[in-house]
Amino acid sequence: MSTAEQNQGLAASEVTLGSSAMPKSSSHKPSGHARRIQIPDRLLGWIIPLSILFLWELFARAGMLPPNWLPAPTVIGETIYELAVAGDLWRHVGITLARVAVGFLLGGTAGTLVGGLTGYATIARKLLDPLLQALRSVPSIAWVPLFLLWLGIQEASKITLISLGAFFPVYLNLSVAMRHVDPKLLEVGRLYRLGSFKMVRRLIIPAVLPEYVVGLRSGLGLAWMFVVAAELLGASSGIGFLMLDGQMTGRAAIILASVFLFAVLGKTTDWMINAAGQKLLGHRARID
Amino acid sequence: MPTSLSLQSGTVDLQIAQKVFAGSQGEILALRNAVLTIDPGEFVCVVGGSGCGKTTLLRIIAGLDTDYEGSVFLDGTRITSPGLDRGLVFQEHRLLSWLTVHDNIAFGLANLPPTERREKIRHYVSLIGLDRFEYDYPHQLSGGMSQRVAIARALVGQPRVLLLDEPFASLDALTRMRLQQEILRIWEAERKTVVMVTHDIEEAVYLADRIVIMSPQPGNIKKILPVHLPRPRDRADREFVRVRKSVHDEFFTPGALAEDSGGS
Repeated sequence: MSTAEQNQGLAASEVTLGSSAMPKSSSHKPSGHARRIQIPDRLLGWIIPLSILFLWELFARAGMLPPNWLPAPTVIGETIYELAVAGDLWRHVGITLARVAVGFLLGGTAGTLVGGLTGYATIARKLLDPLLQALRSVPSIAWVPLFLLWLGIQEASKITLISLGAFFPVYLNLSVAMRHVDPKLLEVGRLYRLGSFKMVRRLIIPAVLPEYVVGLRSGLGLAWMFVVAAELLGASSGIGFLMLDGQMTGRAAIILASVFLFAVLGKTTDWMINAAGQKLLGHRARID
Repeated sequence: MPTSLSLQSGTVDLQIAQKVFAGSQGEILALRNAVLTIDPGEFVCVVGGSGCGKTTLLRIIAGLDTDYEGSVFLDGTRITSPGLDRGLVFQEHRLLSWLTVHDNIAFGLANLPPTERREKIRHYVSLIGLDRFEYDYPHQLSGGMSQRVAIARALVGQPRVLLLDEPFASLDALTRMRLQQEILRIWEAERKTVVMVTHDIEEAVYLADRIVIMSPQPGNIKKILPVHLPRPRDRADREFVRVRKSVHDEFFTPGALAEDSGGS
């Protein structure tokens, strides 16, 4: 035990020395005397999560954590692996992704249309915005009983709930952004005699694009939140169902595996939409 | 003088009886009896304090403001809307942040075949001396450079009249002086009629063939002062100082503010 400790200590100091004496990045400044560890910023964020995982694993292996409550990370990994081999994983992930995709597409499209309309035409805003703001203040989960009653427990009610979640951020961001386009820029459009169509295409759309992308991102985030709600409230497939199943059968590993899957999928799709947004924004994405 | 050289026209005939704004405390008479004819190729500076209606005057010529009594003609045609025959530069550059210098200038162009379009834009990029920045974005430019791009955008559509609304007001003194020289150079190269609104007396004396002095409440033309100094003008020249003082004295009673020698 003491030798192991000593070894670890040695190894650690070696790492310290090694990394300071020979920086990995094409040693343009071989400062031998500086005893500072150089860690790239993007790796800094990994230190704490990895340490937690490591300690968690350590405590779990030492039997200090009840395995039916908090199984070790490797056990969770194994669970995911088993689900993948059995083929269940793909079915659940597939159906959840499909729900999010369809719901986000429907809600996002509706948000874009209604947001665009209310942002462009004052009369549409005066007619629709008070109603939509009132509806927005209802916690969306509160609609679930009604959706279940109207649409049954099949896909329709789930998709509707997810669409509702995705709708509001897209609607709100686009509508507000369009209303706040700098009148001074619109005057430039008037000066160069742009018709309504060109005014929208050449001035308004580019001007509101950054806010619109933000709206899409939060819409997607809410779509993920609502797919969990929808699947927990009655589904026979999907990651949310898997979660519920884990709870019913008392298998914490399955619940945690589901949480992990939601995290990975949510982050991945957010990254995708962000990348698409950056591409759309072109050079403007790099300004700030 | 440019009048004899220019084949193109660019006569602005102002006959504004009055322009009223609806304010919160009733109506405000922004302009009254503004009558003035600006000759083709002439450089006119409109000078006045805030609220004298000088910007309103310019917006009326630009066609952005059509709600007034009277009429304004460009080469005999009544102005009823904005048009590419007049180029306007605002106090702020108002460039579109998502477009390059090239595309921002292109914004001032009507539909043209691509090659002609590119050549025209390149010509104006060179004229304002920003060849190296043609594909940069506005946020990469300084204030003075941005305002030059705005001038190019106003000129690229080949207007007969260039309208400038305090275009250098937000720039630092040195940049402002450089751009004043620049606008003279461009004016001499392009032979446009220029109407420039400013509150800077020295700027007006440095640039103008004629200075239109306006007074507020109600905004009207108080005096029109020809400037007969040869160009390039020397700001320290005795005649220059004398003209500047005479403009200055139109705003302040002589003696009362003797030590404040204009310039602002």
